[in-house]
Amino acid sequence: MTDTVRLNTLKPGDKCLIIEIKATGITGQRLMDLGLIPGVVIEVVRNAPLVDPVQLLVRDNHISIRHSEAREIGVILL
Amino acid sequence: MTEIVVAVAGQPNSGKSTLFNMLTGMRQFVANYPGVTVEKRVGRMNYKGYKFMLVDLPGTYSMTSYSLEERIARNFLLKERPDIVLDVVDASNLERNLVLTFQLLEMKIPMVVVLNMMDAAESARIKIDVNGLSEELGVKVVPTMAKRGVGKAELCDALLDTYQLAGDINDFRLDYGPQLNRSLNVLQEALADDERASAYDLRWLAVRLIAGDEEVSKLFTGSLA
Repeated sequence: MTDTVRLNTLKPGDKCLIIEIKATGITGQRLMDLGLIPGVVIEVVRNAPLVDPVQLLVRDNHISIRHSEAREIGVILL
Repeated sequence: MTEIVVAVAGQPNSGKSTLFNMLTGMRQFVANYPGVTVEKRVGRMNYKGYKFMLVDLPGTYSMTSYSLEERIARNFLLKERPDIVLDVVDASNLERNLVLTFQLLEMKIPMVVVLNMMDAAESARIKIDVNGLSEELGVKVVPTMAKRGVGKAELCDALLDTYQLAGDINDFRLDYGPQLNRSLNVLQEALADDERASAYDLRWLAVRLIAGDEEVSKLFTGSLA
């Protein structure tokens, strides 16, 4: 069983499976609206420590979110 | 003669305003970034002897009550009850756009779906089974390329047909899985005798309550049914 890690800890080029969205309220809703839903596989395009945003490839779409939001997403590295 | 009121809804950057302009012949300000339309804009068109009033709602990713745009769009649909809601979908981004489509279907207003930007979808080699989608959703689905004015007559016909069949609201029901479906049914039954719920579709209310929607929860604060 692979451990769930937080999305903000991954490096560019990493692919992962979304396990859970910990954010609630408006942040959680918006992340899910953008296609970040448990069961979806995404790729990290850009992620540098302390520099926002984190850029992700979600079903052929590039989306950018904050580190603080990426921390709220639990994933399994593929 | 009464005007047929059509609310134009869609996610940011789905080409909603371009489509609105195609139908009404207006030159509304359109910019290539999301969040341009912040207030309600109204345009009119005539088709086959019928008068239509189109209301361009703010672009929203979903129909919750978190942002001002979402509240404006949702309150218009709930309070004004337009004759038709026209859901503008970016065909090149179907999966993400369907989130809003499902939420609109749950509001049980007669609906037409526009698959806009079909050219972008084609160049991304996306093929969409338009008839299959229409059957699954239970509403008319019309492909368009609003930027080039393609699909206008087909869309107007779909609006007219839907208006004339307004009695048959879609019987679309999203499957939330066994656990949530059960909770929704229980909640729906509890709401059936509640006066405060009478102006709304019960299934929609139940879904919004379980999602923790603040505005909907406010309807029921004070006592539990």
